[in-house]
Amino acid sequence: MIEVQGVSKSYGITKALDQVSFSVDRNRVLGFLGPNGAGKSTAMKIITTYLSPDEGTVKIEGQDVTADPLAARRRIGYLPEAAPLYDDMRVRDYLEFVAQARGLTGDDLSRRLDWVHDRTHVRSVLYKKVNELSKGYRQRVGLAQALVHNPDVLILDEPTSGLDPRQIIGIRNLIRELAETKTVIFSSHILAEISAVTDRIVIINGGKIVADGHAEDLRGRAMRENRYRVQFSQDGAAAADALRAIAGVSSVEADPEIANTWLVKSPLATDLRRPVNELARSHGWDLLELAPQRPTLEEAFIELTAGRAH
Amino acid sequence: MKDVGVIFRREMGAYFHSPIAYIFIVVFLFLTSGFYTNGFFLAGVADMRDFFGTLPLYLLFFIPALTMRLWAEDQRLGTFELLMTLPMKPWHIVLGKYLAGLAFYAIALACTFTIPISLMWIGHPDLGAIACGYFGSLLLGGLFLAIGIFVSGLFRDQIAAFILTLLACAFFVLAGTQFFVAILDGWVDGLGSFLSSAFAVNLRFEGIERGVIGLDDVLFFLSFSIVFLVLNTLSLEGRKY
Repeated sequence: MIEVQGVSKSYGITKALDQVSFSVDRNRVLGFLGPNGAGKSTAMKIITTYLSPDEGTVKIEGQDVTADPLAARRRIGYLPEAAPLYDDMRVRDYLEFVAQARGLTGDDLSRRLDWVHDRTHVRSVLYKKVNELSKGYRQRVGLAQALVHNPDVLILDEPTSGLDPRQIIGIRNLIRELAETKTVIFSSHILAEISAVTDRIVIINGGKIVADGHAEDLRGRAMRENRYRVQFSQDGAAAADALRAIAGVSSVEADPEIANTWLVKSPLATDLRRPVNELARSHGWDLLELAPQRPTLEEAFIELTAGRAH
Repeated sequence: MKDVGVIFRREMGAYFHSPIAYIFIVVFLFLTSGFYTNGFFLAGVADMRDFFGTLPLYLLFFIPALTMRLWAEDQRLGTFELLMTLPMKPWHIVLGKYLAGLAFYAIALACTFTIPISLMWIGHPDLGAIACGYFGSLLLGGLFLAIGIFVSGLFRDQIAAFILTLLACAFFVLAGTQFFVAILDGWVDGLGSFLSSAFAVNLRFEGIERGVIGLDDVLFFLSFSIVFLVLNTLSLEGRKY
């Protein structure tokens, strides 16, 4: 379990993180979402002990990472943003170096290297120099070095950045699979990336947590008004006017793509389902659709981060 | 100390994976041995005084070239973050990098053993003095390397690291020159003399390469080297805050 409690960090006069708190249960995936410069990488650097927080604590399985950073580092596999690698080394040598630096020796070393070569699909480039690799392979080698010591905790900063769709799906599947035995935090500024792997999302913006929950919760929290999709058999302006006449309706917009369909909005406190039903019945219209609309995740993200950007 | 070995092997590999190592050794040999043999044939004396006498000057340029990438390269590539999140004590990483630089320098220095071997063949050189000269060269290079690795840790730009290391090492050499002492004493009474006694490496190096190894001279080189390695470690740890 990872617990981040009241963590703040400033760079000079810029507050990168401000009282950030969240936790991740063991063998769960947490998606860390936020626009560029929101503080995602700073939070990850603090969890991995690369940076010290100005205040607050980070605990892994109850152990404060600042009290014993070396013990914390042994448990963590970390892929920093842009997957930094030694360009002058061959892939095989680089991974062996990281494995040895993480204390692996003998049979254990060979077994783990074999495992990461296979699982991250880097076997075909083992004898290539890192500076000859494509972006996708660089990312995979970065992931391989994070996994080589079989850590309990994986911290992945933008692991799918710059990859093509096929590679992205491969990395997503791998993260999902790893999450069965590891606690994973991975960041992205792209919502689709996060929601494709996990529904537990923390949204950070301007150094503060602006939302923490499951995707459905976040969509619900971003709802500022009720929205309904209504389709009648009745054509024309009469239905739109009748909808506008219902008490509490704030707006009615025709769907430009589907005939006789309207998007009707009302304040959160006003439930329009019963009045719309009665309207159809009283006019003898067939009500073909009456569906409450929740914000998409993209809309929720924009709503939750609106006005808080740097 | 296993960690030190892992970093040492990685850094030694980095030297020899690039053409820089080979260029460095060839140019180092060409300049040091080339200029030495020129004077040797004029003087006709079977010793290496001229070789060791000019070595500090060459090292002013060669050592910064060796150390400029030690940390600056990691910062440029982003591998600095990788190193600092490995389960290793920062001073182990510093020591591993330093020892790799020292070993590489020792290899370059060992390539000049052809000179004493040639001298033994054509005359009767004082081997004790020559051995002392090499020992002093290792101490002097070790100090310059420690300065270089510390400066490299302060910069992302290798050229900046090179220039500042050169200037810092030059200070340690210039501090022992009469010219420098006289000027500074002229500005502030006793300042030049103080700096000379506290920092001058060439005076201490000259003593060793003559065959007189004083404990204070050895401690001078070792203690200053340790000071810069500790400063390097502290500067790395200070970056967390």
